Amino acid sequence: MDIRDPELTDEYLIRSALDGDDEAFAVLVRRHRQKVFGIAGRFARHDHELDDLAQEIFLKAYRNLGRFRQESPFEHWLSRIAVRTCYDALRKRRREGSEVPIDDLAIVAENDIEPMRAKELLDRALVRLSAEQRLVITLLELEERSVREVAALTGWSETNVKVRAFRAREALKRILEADYERPA
Amino acid sequence: MNDRLDRLLVAVRAARMDTSRVELGFEARLLSRIRAQREETALWGAWAWRLIPAFAALVIVLGLLNLVSQPADVWPALLDDPETTLWIGGQTGE
Repeated sequence: MDIRDPELTDEYLIRSALDGDDEAFAVLVRRHRQKVFGIAGRFARHDHELDDLAQEIFLKAYRNLGRFRQESPFEHWLSRIAVRTCYDALRKRRREGSEVPIDDLAIVAENDIEPMRAKELLDRALVRLSAEQRLVITLLELEERSVREVAALTGWSETNVKVRAFRAREALKRILEADYERPA
Repeated sequence: MNDRLDRLLVAVRAARMDTSRVELGFEARLLSRIRAQREETALWGAWAWRLIPAFAALVIVLGLLNLVSQPADVWPALLDDPETTLWIGGQTGE
């Protein structure tokens, strides 16, 4: 099956997958995996974790395919599952506790920070935030989604998203400040 | 610190995780996991069906044991009790 075939709509593929056609679900996965990898990639620390997260997201989608009501596009429904799965993973990770000191924050003062190095630094700072704060920073600041979109993805109210975003930013600033001012 | 944080966020936005290695054969891995889970569920279902006669036999045996171990003359003992006799009389109007 060709994923660009216009006759293979998401609705058709979902119906076929529900009838037991695994190949139809594979086409659905192929069509939407970039979106899922894009979201999960912001939360995963390495390839292995990304693979686990992406598989978990599609497994949840597969198990709940019968509940998809087609009121909104499949992509939106899948994105909500992706965000919720990543949020659960963040909460689990936080319970496991993994805090690495930020030892090289001086480079944040530089004008041109190498993106991967910046990501590494931010990841270490984000670890110290709560799962909610990390989720909201990632979706608003890194994915550049609107408050309304974040509210739709998380199920929080728009006011709640704004409050959480403000607190998350403040917390992040405090973490970076404390580490930056810490004597080496 | 606001500026510094903004600079950091701008830099991180540009950093995209290379997902090409994970995407390789992703559907195949996912489908084999789905099939494995489906088989596992089917296996549990099959075992549950197979165990139904055993459970039914167990219930029958327990029922029989219960019947055999009960005292034979419960009613005369109950009717000998004046309070029970009074209550039955009240119910039946005798």
